[in-house]
Amino acid sequence: MIDIELTLNGRPRRLAVDPRESLVDALRERARLTGAHVGCRTASCGACTVELDGNTVKSCCVLAAEADGRAVRTVENGAEPGELDDVQVAFAEAQGMQCGYCTPGMVVSVRNLLDRIADPDDDEITRGLAGNLCRCTGYVNILKAVRLVRDRRLGRV
Amino acid sequence: MYIGERVEGRNNRLVVAGAGTYVDDVRPEGCLVLAILRSPHPHARIRRIDVTAAEGRDDVELVLTGESLLAAGIAIPPSGSYANFTPRMTVKHPLAVGKVRYVGEPVAAVVAHDLVGARAALDALMVDYEVLPSVGNALLALEPGAPRVEDEWPDNVMVEYPFEKGDPAAVLGATEPSRIRRGTLVCNRIASTPLEGRGLVADYDPHRRYLTCWASTQSPHILRTLLAGALDLPDSSIRVIQPNVGGAFGGKIPMFPEDIVTAHAAIVLKRPVKWIEQRHEYLPAGGHSRDVRCDYEVAFAADGRITALTTELIADIGAQSTFLGWLMAIVSAGCIPGSYKVDDVRVRLRCVVSNRGPWQAYRGYGKEVSAFFLERILDEVADAVGRPRDEVRERNFLTPDVFPYEQPSGWITDSGDYSGTLAKVKDLIGWEGFAARKAAARAGGRRLGIGIGHELTPEGSSRPDSLLSGTDSATVKMSPHGDVTVLTGVTSPGTGNETGIAQIVADCLGASLDRVRVVQGDTELCPHGNGNYSSRSLTFGGSSAHLAALVVHDKIRRVGASMLDVAPGEVRLDGHRVIAPSGAEVGFGAVAATIYRSPHARHMEGVEPGLEVTRTFKMDNVHHQPEKDGRYNQYPTWSFSTAACIVEVDEETGVVRIEKFALVHDSGMVVNPLLAEAQLHGAITQGIGASLYEEIRYDDAGLPQNLTLREYTLPGMRESVDIVLGHQSTPSPFTMMGMKGVGESGISAPAPAIASAIEDALSDLGVRLTEVPFTPARVWAAIQEAR
Repeated sequence: MIDIELTLNGRPRRLAVDPRESLVDALRERARLTGAHVGCRTASCGACTVELDGNTVKSCCVLAAEADGRAVRTVENGAEPGELDDVQVAFAEAQGMQCGYCTPGMVVSVRNLLDRIADPDDDEITRGLAGNLCRCTGYVNILKAVRLVRDRRLGRV
Repeated sequence: MYIGERVEGRNNRLVVAGAGTYVDDVRPEGCLVLAILRSPHPHARIRRIDVTAAEGRDDVELVLTGESLLAAGIAIPPSGSYANFTPRMTVKHPLAVGKVRYVGEPVAAVVAHDLVGARAALDALMVDYEVLPSVGNALLALEPGAPRVEDEWPDNVMVEYPFEKGDPAAVLGATEPSRIRRGTLVCNRIASTPLEGRGLVADYDPHRRYLTCWASTQSPHILRTLLAGALDLPDSSIRVIQPNVGGAFGGKIPMFPEDIVTAHAAIVLKRPVKWIEQRHEYLPAGGHSRDVRCDYEVAFAADGRITALTTELIADIGAQSTFLGWLMAIVSAGCIPGSYKVDDVRVRLRCVVSNRGPWQAYRGYGKEVSAFFLERILDEVADAVGRPRDEVRERNFLTPDVFPYEQPSGWITDSGDYSGTLAKVKDLIGWEGFAARKAAARAGGRRLGIGIGHELTPEGSSRPDSLLSGTDSATVKMSPHGDVTVLTGVTSPGTGNETGIAQIVADCLGASLDRVRVVQGDTELCPHGNGNYSSRSLTFGGSSAHLAALVVHDKIRRVGASMLDVAPGEVRLDGHRVIAPSGAEVGFGAVAATIYRSPHARHMEGVEPGLEVTRTFKMDNVHHQPEKDGRYNQYPTWSFSTAACIVEVDEETGVVRIEKFALVHDSGMVVNPLLAEAQLHGAITQGIGASLYEEIRYDDAGLPQNLTLREYTLPGMRESVDIVLGHQSTPSPFTMMGMKGVGESGISAPAPAIASAIEDALSDLGVRLTEVPFTPARVWAAIQEAR
């Protein structure tokens, strides 16, 4: 086991991890943040998407050790239980989900997208979410959800 | 009224927070991790398994093999009986005994302290295999002298299912050759691929002799009964809890070999044990669907009316497992000719075992295969007689006046208006006027095409002598404060039926929706039910909840009316209140309080005490007694849809892009349009995936070629298309409120619609597409062949 120190959802955190362990397993098993999900372990599905130093990564293909000294932000984002941000509310209202297994990764990708591009068009939204697969509900309502939160932030609705 | 409202899914705010509890999030104290060693060979004898090194590892608690399970008395004997056909069966072993028959077959299991340790222990297991000649597909398996997948069978045919209506041979013989077409169509293998894999956590309490299992399953009660049988425990000693499920689509209908192994390990170790499937395990061994070949012969009149149809179906069902997926092939056969009136029909299905992975249920459940074959044949007939494809469908559709209609298979279609959905989808896609658009695009160097595809989706499967026999139960109870809890035997894999059932119960009771809670997926809390499959959750689960709610409603009405000093017939129940004609009202809380607190007082005279009611529902048009009434029908409701799409084909590369996709579905009365549409979006996207991107491939020896999602490519947002939905409602005369199932609608029509559109885009070349999916390589090859 090795110790790593990281900033996790804005707070300093020390974790003892197996050097063979991926970041998603460390987040889920050691930090007990189970919002990031494992869907493929080949960086294909995006259910494990988190931010690492402000960039989205598939945390199944990042070693926990690589997060040492860096900032990780997960879907939980330090929120109080029961609190949702505007991205999450838009997904809920637009029914941009069914089973919800992919949704936390989607939410992280949308937060990151809107941090980078305040007014993304459909093409930019599509590219921003290209790494996140949804198997239940398709992408029609997910696109609606992203447009909704974008327009709310820009005061259009 | 809540029915018909676009109510947001009840779990949305939980799961969007990342706060859902999926099976891998269940962590009993001291939980160990189980991992499975799987066969790397399509077919091999197991000479010896050396477990010494694995058992010697510090963090390994248990190693299991097929022999050790056999010694513990665990084996699954054949069970169930089948109408109309008799399959060959085998004893099934959760871990292989003697030989392996497909890549990914479970061979041994290790239990260690964590996943990293368990996977390291798998590497320490030494298996000595004698590799055997294998059959990588059904055609090879049918060859004389082919290696046999099941040693005790005379050949590789598991079941043969023929049926005939009229005399198709005579009609074909009397038809002039220009009015006959013959050919072969192929539906290749796919996998449902929910993003969350399968998984189970088992915890055994030796003091109480009680096993608790959390499972990513569609059917907790069925899993409990099957596990009890496999482990020789009383049903009452097992509790199965379904936590949040990360998608299922049929892929989690129990029982799986890993369920038995994990539960057994927990009992042996007297500690909690968790098995979570990894994607590289799922893709070869989690169960596939489709993989059916159809050799057909069709005769038709000058106007495109089909006069005779024969189909020879060969289903490659892979090696047998505890899965029941092979029955999908029966449904494929039984749904021919489906929506079309053909008086002279012969269907012969052979289910062939091979050294491919086993089948497991997947949305569509075989209906998508028959839809693909039938629609391709309809298009070919239309081309042969030079009539439009929509017109030829109209010519052959069953008309609304013929229902209930007995299919050649004997199944009875309840209702339908197929021309209705076809007409509506043509409007939505812009059928009229497309020819001009196509010509303009062609002049500009682009190839656009338009196509249609029709699907028939029988739902509510009710198989005789099985745990999937076509009933479900619900309990509706009101507390002393007037709050309502609904406990259902149906479950939700994330589709939202809990929301729809709450709407149904709230309307039936006159309750406020926010005071109706729905609890599902726990064998100790919920009444016995079959869970979720065959789009049955509202037709069965909603109807049983409705029946139970009616009894509660009646009691609230009688007591409330007494409290208001009016006759029961004079009050109405609305907004969680009982309201008299004068406007005087009493809240459900006060009525419930009276029922609980004053059972001997005036308002309760002649009223049975208590406010908890359980009811079980079965549908009247399921027929399981052919010896009595000559009828056999396992599908009570028959939804249908018609799709149309516009595609652009790149002639140089064979790449197909869908420009617009429209679908008009008819699933009777819709309880929650928001969730029904979300389901249809998802089904259509899966249907498009299976049409263009997804294919489980094997080589001739049976080695799988897709072990990750990099080779089995699911559609992502870049592949997403603009989906336009339309609704039609032909209420079922046999269900409560005319509901039909919606869960499987929309997955079957995309493949034939897209094929039809691709051919239209290449119409001047005369391209024929006979094999789905239409990958760039296949489309390109078809273009070259036509040239």
